[in-house]
Amino acid sequence: MEKVNIYDQIEKNKRNSILLGLIVFIVLFALVYLISQIFVPELAFIILIFSFLLIVVDIYVSYNYGDQIVLKSVNAKPADEIKNRYFVDTVEGLAIAAGISKPKIYIMESKDINAFACGKDPKHASICITTGALENLKRDEIEGVIGHEMSHIKNYDVRFATLIAVLVGLAAIVSFMFLRSLRFGSFRNEDERRGGGFILIMIIVAIALAIFAPLVTRIVQAAVSRRREFLADASGAELTRYPDGLANALEKIKKINEGKMNVSEAVSHLFISDPNRSPLDNLFATHPPLEERIKILRAM
Amino acid sequence: MVLEWLIPIVIIVVIALIVVYYLNKIVVLSNRIDNALAQIDVQLKKRADLVPNLVETVKGYAKHEKGIMEAAMKARENMLKAGNVQERMKAGTALAAALRSVFAIAENYPQLKASENFKLLQEQLEGIENKIAYSRQFYNDSVLSFNNTITTIPGAWFASIFGRNKPKDFLTIEEKEKKPVKVEF
Repeated sequence: MEKVNIYDQIEKNKRNSILLGLIVFIVLFALVYLISQIFVPELAFIILIFSFLLIVVDIYVSYNYGDQIVLKSVNAKPADEIKNRYFVDTVEGLAIAAGISKPKIYIMESKDINAFACGKDPKHASICITTGALENLKRDEIEGVIGHEMSHIKNYDVRFATLIAVLVGLAAIVSFMFLRSLRFGSFRNEDERRGGGFILIMIIVAIALAIFAPLVTRIVQAAVSRRREFLADASGAELTRYPDGLANALEKIKKINEGKMNVSEAVSHLFISDPNRSPLDNLFATHPPLEERIKILRAM
Repeated sequence: MVLEWLIPIVIIVVIALIVVYYLNKIVVLSNRIDNALAQIDVQLKKRADLVPNLVETVKGYAKHEKGIMEAAMKARENMLKAGNVQERMKAGTALAAALRSVFAIAENYPQLKASENFKLLQEQLEGIENKIAYSRQFYNDSVLSFNNTITTIPGAWFASIFGRNKPKDFLTIEEKEKKPVKVEF
């Protein structure tokens, strides 16, 4: 496997985040332009200006409040400091070990063992763990899981991953809306029959964009997050100085998890182990196989 | 003609940028070590703050163990009196030992061992002990990256120019400290 330096990875994450914002901006803008050209060419200019503002606001909100959106979408609650003392203490301790400020700490209801981190940078990050993890994992295993999440935060993986989560969700919504509107809109077009060929081409392009935008983002989401998981496993183990803790936790995940957590596909890549397992796993898997991760950790 | 003076200027600017980069890097890494030391200090103080509470709780159940309580309070005072972090760390070792004997008392007083307050204090102490360990680890990690920077080329050249080429010391664990605080659940 190629060797990745943490500091290169941080730079890469920051760069990718900007790139992602730009791509989303261009794709959405193109989509809006095509839609308005097809249905209401006379208002296209005004619609463009409005959508420009909307898209800018949307990307701004995704960047600054993406973590809140993600936490809300999985119904995470702030952890109780007394009841979950060990969890809270370990998060604080590993934040010290990683040299970053203490992230906000959340718990979500689920029988599966899982956890994720999100936020725009280490100063505005959150860590969330499932109730299933707190019940089934031993202390050194919880420590291993938190170490993994803490290194996602430290490496700025969370910024990129949170942006993807919010924007993937958005791409899905926009293309869904467009495909729906096309069904109603097409009748009107047939009546009017203005400049047939040009409009037809644009409709095809728009449909292609609408179908491929979510698909492409899914593949990017999968490819990008698989490599990060290996890196986070390794640097997490460096924080806890005990790779077996995480390896044991992953083994329990393999045994206990049913892979049917009630969370959106858009946030699945944030989790330490894939919350939704599907037959399409090989193409779209956001996580490398657990066996492989365990093997590498055991060899450390 | 333009090239004739452009090239030297570009070279000078590039060299200046490299110098600034390394100077900043060395300063940042050295500041991180100071910050790491402050982190250890914070946790040591938190442990000291736990002592009066603990002594109060234990007193309620075990009135006859005055000697051990006084020893713990004394160790705490010694630690708070310490002038700098290094001394405080040393005194902290003595405090940890004193706390160990306080928790050992609980073995003879089942009521104390079962008390909610005492359990909470045990949890808190375990958390703080872990954080002390983590903060020492961060300190050593910071020292390692500082030392690596100032002893490898080209960092070593700049470090000697700025007179900051002395590697910093790692924190080592003293023999008696190696025994972990025994906390049972």
